[in-house]
Amino acid sequence: MYEEPYRWVEAVGNRRTYLDEQFKQGSPVVAIAYDGGIVLATISKGTPKLYEIYDRIALGGMGHPADLEKLRFSLLEMSHTEGFNRSPSDVTGARLVKYGVAPAIKQAFEEVYKAPFIVKILLAELGQKPAKDVLLTINYDGTFEETTGCVVIAATSAVQKEMMTYIRHETSSNLSLGQAVATALLAWALGDRAQRLASADSERSNDTETAGSKVSPTDTAALSAYLREYIAEKTVECAVLDRNQPGSSKYRALASDELRRLLPAGLQAALVS
Amino acid sequence: MGMQGDFYQLLKEQGYQLGSSAAAGHGQEMTNATTILAFKYRDGVLVAGDRRATAGNMVMYDRTDKVLEIDRYSVMAIAGVPATAYEMVRVLEHSFKYYRRTQLQELSFEGKLRAVSKLLKENVAAALAGTGAVVPVFAGYDFEQGMAKIFFYDILGAEFEGVEYAVSGSGSPTIRGILHYINTWGERPLVALTEEEATIQALRLLTSAAEFDSATGGVNREANLYPIIKLITQDGVRVVPDDRLKPLFESKVVRHV
Repeated sequence: MYEEPYRWVEAVGNRRTYLDEQFKQGSPVVAIAYDGGIVLATISKGTPKLYEIYDRIALGGMGHPADLEKLRFSLLEMSHTEGFNRSPSDVTGARLVKYGVAPAIKQAFEEVYKAPFIVKILLAELGQKPAKDVLLTINYDGTFEETTGCVVIAATSAVQKEMMTYIRHETSSNLSLGQAVATALLAWALGDRAQRLASADSERSNDTETAGSKVSPTDTAALSAYLREYIAEKTVECAVLDRNQPGSSKYRALASDELRRLLPAGLQAALVS
Repeated sequence: MGMQGDFYQLLKEQGYQLGSSAAAGHGQEMTNATTILAFKYRDGVLVAGDRRATAGNMVMYDRTDKVLEIDRYSVMAIAGVPATAYEMVRVLEHSFKYYRRTQLQELSFEGKLRAVSKLLKENVAAALAGTGAVVPVFAGYDFEQGMAKIFFYDILGAEFEGVEYAVSGSGSPTIRGILHYINTWGERPLVALTEEEATIQALRLLTSAAEFDSATGGVNREANLYPIIKLITQDGVRVVPDDRLKPLFESKVVRHV
């Protein structure tokens, strides 16, 4: 079936289309560095999407819960055995990604006889100093990127770019936790709205090529309103890698009352539903 | 497998072995040269240990921390062969974290106790051979019962609850009697002591142990060296800092004749 090279290329191409389709309805995940660490945020429907991996490493994921679970376990296994056999400071996000999960995801993606991982992964690593903070993302095909400051995963790279532009525009260098959480949630709203518009567009695009819905407002009020509308019956998930947390584990999920206290009034209303 | 969240099992699958697989036989009797103690006071449990590490007659080190935090809510005070004891603490620390992170819930206090005795049982051969005996005191906060608890072990891994107090190490016979005495006939039982009173008692007890046991290090004021004292309450483990121990020692422990 795929024994000829061009067939294989074609099969991988089909896979991309199939996978892109799977993420259309997915909930984006945002990570932003703030003055005391890194905050991760998303909105989930039921299954959680943010997890603790190691002392200073947090995971955010999009995609199929079972696939995410599988990769989460291999990340946990790798980091804990490495942290035990060597030392906790040898467990780094970059090593976990480059020598651990990214090759596995790529292999599954290219083995066209087998099922691929339906996941996009975000890893946040809190450095010993703020300058050493690292944010990593892995796409469903195993491509990974490393960055600092802020990062997102969303259905398409276009949406990701849009969200990143928004975050960069809205934030300065020294954010408080409250500001970072608010920006992350608004960026989520922007991303989620863009994904909805894109999938609505693609359904209509068969008829008309001129789907001109790009002019949605990106001001805080409009995004807060969107958030209010779309998070009913869903859970706001927020977790931090808190540099000031005592002990070796720096990960902490923000409880809903803490979250409410942190947010500006306009967004608080969005959460009390 | 990994899905059970058992880190020790995972290590063993990768060929890990705790300590050396010594054959049981003619081991020399190894003394547990140290003093560790734990008792319940008003707010929780106090765990304390001296800071001396010895090899035979030689003092190896005078700044050892034998009261090791395993996670935010539990500590293990160690007496016995340090190499094995530290390794056990490392295994436990990673096991509890691994369980919490994989299963997305804290390991129960019962579960933590089981993990400790399991490791001690795995270590029986080395303990009998005289190369790896560990006699720890484990203390932690049990959220199911809403109280801090103390457990002590023999070298084979048998577990006993220290309802009021527990001691271990070569200096422990001295202070076991004292603990019994003050708990029974003292002005108030140990469990009624405030944090400050409990800290003073711990300093006095360790000073008494050092008086009669050469392997227990006392307070060395010139070197600004005080015992390790940790408190376990509902809020977690807290270390009593040296600058708090210093005035208490000077005003309440030193005898000004």
